[in-house]
Amino acid sequence: MTRAEIERVLLAWIAEGLDAKPSEERFERLALALFRLQWESGAAYRKLCAAFGRDPRGVRHWRDIPAVPTGAFKEARLAIFPPSATVRTFRTSGSSTAARGALELDDLALYDASLEATFRAFVCPDLERIRFAVLAPSAEDAPDSSLSYMFSRAVARMGTPASRFLVGTDGWDPDAAIAELAGTRDPLALVGTAFAFVHLLDRLAERGRGLALPAGTRVMETGGFKGRSRELGREELHDAIAAALGVPRARIVNQYGMCELASQFYEPTLRTGVPSDVKRVPPWVRTRAVDPTSGLDVAAGEAGVLVHYDLANVGSVLAVQTSDLGEMEGSGFRVLGRLRGAEARGCSLAADALLGTP
Amino acid sequence: MRELVELAGARGALEPQRVTRALAETFARWAAPHSSERAQLSRDHGIYSPPVIERGIELALAGWTEHALSALRARELADPCWVPPVTAVWLAGSIPTAAFSALALPLLAGSAVYAKPSSADPLSARLFAESLARTDPAVGAALAVGGDAKALDEADAVVAHGSDATIAAIRVRVGARPFLGYGHKLSLAAVGPAVEPLVAARRLALDAALWDGRGCLSPSWALCVDSPRGRAAELARALASALEELEEELPRGRLDTAEAAELVELRARAAVREGTRLEMAAGASTWTVALESGDVRPPPGIFRFVSIVPVPDLESLGGFCGPLAPQLSCIGHAGFGIERPRLAELAAAAGVSRLCPLGRMQLPPLDWNHDGQPPLRPLLRWLDQESPEG
Repeated sequence: MTRAEIERVLLAWIAEGLDAKPSEERFERLALALFRLQWESGAAYRKLCAAFGRDPRGVRHWRDIPAVPTGAFKEARLAIFPPSATVRTFRTSGSSTAARGALELDDLALYDASLEATFRAFVCPDLERIRFAVLAPSAEDAPDSSLSYMFSRAVARMGTPASRFLVGTDGWDPDAAIAELAGTRDPLALVGTAFAFVHLLDRLAERGRGLALPAGTRVMETGGFKGRSRELGREELHDAIAAALGVPRARIVNQYGMCELASQFYEPTLRTGVPSDVKRVPPWVRTRAVDPTSGLDVAAGEAGVLVHYDLANVGSVLAVQTSDLGEMEGSGFRVLGRLRGAEARGCSLAADALLGTP
Repeated sequence: MRELVELAGARGALEPQRVTRALAETFARWAAPHSSERAQLSRDHGIYSPPVIERGIELALAGWTEHALSALRARELADPCWVPPVTAVWLAGSIPTAAFSALALPLLAGSAVYAKPSSADPLSARLFAESLARTDPAVGAALAVGGDAKALDEADAVVAHGSDATIAAIRVRVGARPFLGYGHKLSLAAVGPAVEPLVAARRLALDAALWDGRGCLSPSWALCVDSPRGRAAELARALASALEELEEELPRGRLDTAEAAELVELRARAAVREGTRLEMAAGASTWTVALESGDVRPPPGIFRFVSIVPVPDLESLGGFCGPLAPQLSCIGHAGFGIERPRLAELAAAAGVSRLCPLGRMQLPPLDWNHDGQPPLRPLLRWLDQESPEG
């Protein structure tokens, strides 16, 4: 299959929505075709496959497709098209001195289709448009942030004209955000980074006040803390949001995504009405929890490293190994936390702590 | 804390000759052929393979003799001084011999020790304390192993190992009391033109294999003066063979999920890096050698992952080390001949506190000025008394 054929079939699949009948055969066929395309067109990926003794002749199943750890995005350009064709680059967060991973895109059609299908299904399943209040910068203010791109796209496609980004290039004013939220009479989609929510909650606590956001409001938080606020566990954060903003727990969801992937994963709480910490996997994605040494699935209920196979990642690599520990639950997964340099490493410095990697 | 009061009472036994002898005999117990202590630690440690623990301890303790202990004590406590009655020692990491020296040094100075073992290695400190008590019960009574963080507030001095963040937090807590902090560090190997690559590779392989490359003295990179061109490639090939051979003799220990993922990522990063050539254990994660193209600083290796970085000359080696200055600990070297004084200059400028022959990186002497700090003196206080007569 050519790239154009893969994209056409995939766009049609995404258009069927989240409730399309899962098809292992369809996924397998597309994944193997895409792997072959990415192996043929991506020099860096081909080099990685060669180092691990893999090529399309030996890959018979999507599970055999070599996954690229996210750290490798810092080392090499993994796009399968020439740099001149790049229309958008998303970069991982990081300090200015550390190398940052990048996902380059030469076409946003698939990226947008996947993003919109899942965002609508899991955040706005009950209405066409809603007023957004975004605790993150817009794509205009943060052009290399995939998160900002997602929020901007969601606002454009699902937001009312009253939607607002409450964080700008110079940061944000929690008091102004509180005033904006307190003044609204419409149901909101209050979305943003977890650390921004923590700042908002802390400011509300300092002022000794809470909000009662209008009925129909939903909250979506994402993105971890990255040292920008105190850290709260998911349960604790959702409880605190419910208490401080007057939004029921059944209307608060966590989204899990990463710069290196085109697709995102959500808790299905707003679709089912029941709070859940299990992330749903879109039909065009597969997720495994693996033992990193063997590359095999861990036993059911055991923790492994999460690996995603995202067909919407047409322009780079479809198989991405994360730095997250997780466990599978049915076809979904639960995120258990970041893999951390273990205490047992000895006394050597962790690679992440070393500054100045050129 | 009641334990600190008891420890202060027990320090009467830490009379110089007695504590020196007790420590030397304890080290000898651990280093002896068929040592029961070493055997127990090898069996139960859980992170390293038994042969690595056996060999690592045997080699490291070979020089930790009564003579070496006496000389160290004489050097550090030359004049009468105040010795903290009780020192709290907070351990980190998983390397047994690092725990042994951390416990032994304050005792040698005459300070009782309250030690908190590392969560990764709760055994080494406990077994060392038990063997010291068997050697000399009175000296052994001056070493307690526990986990009460109040000791950080109540001990007369504190020695702490751990991440920079941990050290900084403990330093604040300790305030004006004597404090010795050891943050996490990195080391590297340097191979000059005056050594056969095969010889250098064998020594480097031992440095990488002992403690599985986890320690701050493990070679995170091996810089090789690539003159004539091709020596670095030769070193890489020889190192791969040497690590493969050592895997029989000193098998690598287990990796937990996070560590295994870290190694997979290191390998993948090397695999996609422009100009890097990768050699790996066949079908296993036990060793990896990455031959770099020469103009990069790859991520530091760990778990027997060694990056060979070719450099054109010794001065370029200095350029590689410079930006690492706050984090560099040791350079293990071979083949620099008459250029060794210049290597020492460059190393000192980069903040390195130890230069040693390749093959001995994991075997620091007991009197090593760890991270540039004297091993005992920062814990002590001197009072200069000038006579009225002048």
